[in-house]
Amino acid sequence: MPSAQKPMRYGHTEGHTDVCFDDTGSCIVTCGSDGDVRIWENLDDDDPKSINVGEKAYSCALKNGKLITAVLNNTVQIHTFPEGAPDGILTRFTMNANHVVFNSDGTKIAAGSSDFMVKVVEVTDSSKQKTFRGHDAPVLSLSFDPRDVYLASASCDGSIRVWKIGDQTCTTSWPLLQKCNDVINAKSICRLGWQPGSGKLLAIPVDKVVKLYRRETWDSQFDLSDTFITQTLNVVAWSPCGQYLAAGSVDGSIVVWNVENQECIERMKHEKNYSVCGLAWHPKYRQIAYTDTEGNLGLLENIGDGKKPNDKVASTVTKDYNDLFDGEDDDYLDGDMIEPQSSPKAGDNEDDADDLMPTSGRLRRALIDDDDNSLDIGMIKANSNVLEKEDDDDDQTGGFSALPPSSTQQPFYDGPMPTPKQKPFQSGSTPAHLMHRFMVWNSVGIIRCYNDEQDNAIDVEFHDTSIHHATHLPNSLNHTMADLSTEAILLACESTEELASKLHCIHFSSWDANKEWTVDMPKDEDIEAICLGQGWAACATSALLVRVFTVGGVQKEIFSLPGPVVSMAGHGEQLMIIYHRGTGFDGDQCLGVQLMELGKKKKQILHGDPLSLTKKSYLAWVGFSAEGTPCYVDSEGIVRMLNRGLGNTWIPVCNTREHCKGKSDHYWVVGIHENLQQLRCIPCKGARFPPTLPRPAVAILPFKLPYCQVTTEKGQMEEQYWRSVVFHNHVDYLSKNGYELDENAKSQLVKEQQELLMKLFALSCKLEREFRCMELADLMTQNVVNLAIKYASRSRRLNLAQRLSEMAVEKASELATAPEDEEEEEDFRKHLNAGYSNTATEWSRLPVRNVQQDQEMEDAEETDAYEEVEETPEVHKQRPNPFCKGVTSAEVTTPKSVVIVSSSQGRVNPFKVSSNKKDPVVPSANVLDTMSKHSKKTSLSSSRAVNKQNPPVIKPLIPKPKSKQALAASFFQARTPNSSAKTVEEREEKAGNESHEVKVTAQENTENKRPKTGFQMWLEENRANILTDNPDLNEAEVIKEGMSRFRMLSSEERVVWTEKAKGGTVNDLAEDKKRKRPTADEDEVKKNQEQKSEDSNVSKKPKPLDQSTNVRLSAFAFKQS
Amino acid sequence: MEPAEAEFLAEKELVTIVPNFSLDRIHLIGGDLGPFNPGLPVEVPVWLAINLKQRQKCRLIPPEWMDVEKLEEIRDQERKEDTFTPMPSPYYMELTKLLLNYASDNIPKADEIRTLVKDTWDTRIAKLRLSADSFVRQQEAHAKLDNLTLMEINTTGTFLTQALDHMYKLRTNLQPGESAHSQDF
Repeated sequence: MPSAQKPMRYGHTEGHTDVCFDDTGSCIVTCGSDGDVRIWENLDDDDPKSINVGEKAYSCALKNGKLITAVLNNTVQIHTFPEGAPDGILTRFTMNANHVVFNSDGTKIAAGSSDFMVKVVEVTDSSKQKTFRGHDAPVLSLSFDPRDVYLASASCDGSIRVWKIGDQTCTTSWPLLQKCNDVINAKSICRLGWQPGSGKLLAIPVDKVVKLYRRETWDSQFDLSDTFITQTLNVVAWSPCGQYLAAGSVDGSIVVWNVENQECIERMKHEKNYSVCGLAWHPKYRQIAYTDTEGNLGLLENIGDGKKPNDKVASTVTKDYNDLFDGEDDDYLDGDMIEPQSSPKAGDNEDDADDLMPTSGRLRRALIDDDDNSLDIGMIKANSNVLEKEDDDDDQTGGFSALPPSSTQQPFYDGPMPTPKQKPFQSGSTPAHLMHRFMVWNSVGIIRCYNDEQDNAIDVEFHDTSIHHATHLPNSLNHTMADLSTEAILLACESTEELASKLHCIHFSSWDANKEWTVDMPKDEDIEAICLGQGWAACATSALLVRVFTVGGVQKEIFSLPGPVVSMAGHGEQLMIIYHRGTGFDGDQCLGVQLMELGKKKKQILHGDPLSLTKKSYLAWVGFSAEGTPCYVDSEGIVRMLNRGLGNTWIPVCNTREHCKGKSDHYWVVGIHENLQQLRCIPCKGARFPPTLPRPAVAILPFKLPYCQVTTEKGQMEEQYWRSVVFHNHVDYLSKNGYELDENAKSQLVKEQQELLMKLFALSCKLEREFRCMELADLMTQNVVNLAIKYASRSRRLNLAQRLSEMAVEKASELATAPEDEEEEEDFRKHLNAGYSNTATEWSRLPVRNVQQDQEMEDAEETDAYEEVEETPEVHKQRPNPFCKGVTSAEVTTPKSVVIVSSSQGRVNPFKVSSNKKDPVVPSANVLDTMSKHSKKTSLSSSRAVNKQNPPVIKPLIPKPKSKQALAASFFQARTPNSSAKTVEEREEKAGNESHEVKVTAQENTENKRPKTGFQMWLEENRANILTDNPDLNEAEVIKEGMSRFRMLSSEERVVWTEKAKGGTVNDLAEDKKRKRPTADEDEVKKNQEQKSEDSNVSKKPKPLDQSTNVRLSAFAFKQS
Repeated sequence: MEPAEAEFLAEKELVTIVPNFSLDRIHLIGGDLGPFNPGLPVEVPVWLAINLKQRQKCRLIPPEWMDVEKLEEIRDQERKEDTFTPMPSPYYMELTKLLLNYASDNIPKADEIRTLVKDTWDTRIAKLRLSADSFVRQQEAHAKLDNLTLMEINTTGTFLTQALDHMYKLRTNLQPGESAHSQDF
């Protein structure tokens, strides 16, 4: 029969304590150094009755409704029990008494004091006292002979004396103990005891053994010992029947022997190894109450083997062994509670010390007759704990061998403990045992469940009442799981004895009259988790199956899970399942995640990858962001998100615990928004989840990636940059999956990212970190690199500028090669959609454009600052060229694809450009000042680049840009095309088969080049004059000066200039052509080459360009300086 | 000034609501409001909050001070001190009235709050009367009244100033008596 060790509880303040039971055993009485006597109904009594008996109580004894205590003021006093009223003083000493005991019939008490005296006093008449002198040191303990003839006493002088009560003489004396000068210095308080009943034996704890002396002969009968005892024994206590003897040691072990056969029947270890200083048997049951020197009270139940005559069937407290270590009914997963129970060394030590044979024999016995020996974990733990410390194993075995070998060594597991597996849960729900709980709180709405006497109902409320009105459902089936989407409410219940587990769907968005359907699970299959997606519902069952239904109730896919489900989440076509991949150890969970798409193309994205959780935490929330990126939160408050940009890895994006004020505060996550970068959650004070009332309010937390040194400007910007990148991965994903996206938002974010990069670049420049500058430039888009080159040359970092330009060229060529590789990869897409083929072809033209663009940029720089503004149109002029080519091939495929291409191109906002050129922008020396303007342009172009990388996005966007483009085209057609338009047209003619639409777009883009105002033209002509007049002017000043001069011109003259600008004078035209010719020719050549052999020329091409750009750049830089 | 005007001013105060509809940012003369996301708290002026509430388009989150414990503390403090104590909001009375009238279902313990605010109000008005009384009695020339809210000033302001005017007239007429008359003639 297993004995149960109840967890210790606080009884008194730390210090010496004593314990006894009352006569009936109905309550435990303890006294402690706080001077209180407490009467406990049982161990779980949270409100024990307290009687204050003095400043400090040393010992207490209880019999016949009289409570005797020895207290600090050197008296031994009586209190009535259980009332606790003072009932006089029995006797006084010159020092405090250390121990008081009753005799067996309760008529006398004996008290031993620190003034070396022992007194026996009649309870009813305190005048009848007997004093026993003879000890040479404070008396430690006393014990009455049950026959009232003898009195045994132990003292600090090292002797144990037996006195004859009648004549107050010392009958015998054994020098057994170590001498000491005071009680507090005594190694052991040596609570000795006569065997109840006959009083045949006197048990004395001496060092690590209990010596038993026979009455009358006063010779040592035998010793009781055990290997379990490693420290001096402090107390012994006989069971009321006299059959068992319990002993407690100073290191907190308690051992019980059957005295008849001297067999050890119980071993137990104090949970904190405090010294046991009080030990008392229950008068009827096999219980031992014990107290330690730290003031704690403990109880051992069901001791022995059940042979006791007066033994009632004590209530067996069956407890999970975990509860032994942690009594609080706490969060079952809160890490630390599962300690390794013992170390592997323990077993080894034992093997070394003992012969191998006995050990194995013992083990075998233990396995065979385990009904005789209670095999309980507490004991095993105690064993191992002792063994850990055991150094002097040898003399232990010496004494031990005399005893019949008892099964002391139980086999025990000794390693990392498995963590209890986390139970399945619904995201955004509060525990099911609550009467009022949230079944789900997500971004769509809230489902609450009321389960009290009057009502068992489910309340559904939508955040947005335009989805559906709030509803109230009866919960007759006792649904415990729920999910909510904009289409349906999904409920599920576990099976009962009669009813199978049911899945219940309320499809409120259905257009027919039947809005509900129910599905019964097969017998013995319980639904454990459910979720809703767009147009489908899924449930995971205890049979490790995932069943997918349509939202209308058609059964669809079914598949097996590798392990028991933990939670599921759905969003759009995506289904995420978290399950137990294995057993976790030491508080960790071992979870796996599957992510699949249930759309037209069914595929698995995450194939049961391990889920990264914080140490000793479990999963607390799992779901998708509003944009459809999988996220989860663990119990430590770390929010992680799938980073699709880095091979589907998980990135921690927020630590909600950082925002908590209190240690026990938590945030209960309800939703994640990537675009707004919001983590919506409910702050819970001192809890993990919110109550339903008062209705909790949603708070918003910002995201923060755990980057280093975010206090510095650099770290901050780095964090911001990567956060921006991570939180916009979904844009690529969505566009890949053919969702329509807001172009503005997209360009906005690219702009934001590039701006951050540029700032970082400037910062590194300032810090003279040129290498870092290069690394940053590597992250930039083409246009921003150009800006960076400019910045570098402006801040007179010629080396950096040169390297940057090299990089720009490299980048361009890389861009050229990469798509070709991709092309092969994306081959299958071509089959899927013929329209895509043209985009692939288009890619091959891209490098030329970029390189060319570079040259253009440098050209622009070569001229003057004013033209820098003009570079915008130039870029745009160059852009369309590849499209023209692309279209030629596109036309071969389908006419529709032409529309696609042109429409994608139509995204160029002509108004934006014109606004750029309209305001002449007083050019500032600092490039960053004009940053926003430039990056706008950048974002435009880069967003287009993104589009090209994700061709499918084009499709859903057809209608909008088309109209825009048409508008733009008509707008521009009104004007006459200028020279560059002509060059383009020339090319077009070469290409031959252009559609009209394309022509229009080409024109439109060439128009961008045209917008030279009259002033600009004037300035070009007069620049030289200005410069000769004021040679030390910089670009900005030149323009300023030019402006003032231009204003001074007569109005007629100005009109002439503006008309010139409008008409595009021959003069200007020629000039323009002269400048542009070489590059254009170069392009032509290159393009022809490319058409012949695309692959070969890619590698060749960068070289000559490299040189030319370098030369130009250095020329430019020197000019600048 | 009319009490209605004070109330009108109070309607500009911001309160938090949880809308149950979705609307982009709205641009008004007084500034931009929103965006409104269903289920997400947003700050709006009282006038809009009440309007939305009446149309059942939102749930109101009471201001932080509209809480029984806090108001009890304020009331006790107000009773203890002789002078006026600062109020949690310059429009506490108006807001209480407006919000409790239109959104009492979203405010826990609405009745208790109403009583507490009324108690505080009564205490303050009594103080105001008392000080006005002593002001007149002792014929003081000026008085300092800190921490008074607009509505409180409004209750007595016009009356007190007019009364003082009248008294002044009466006094000036009384003293020179005859001479004034003679001057007229």
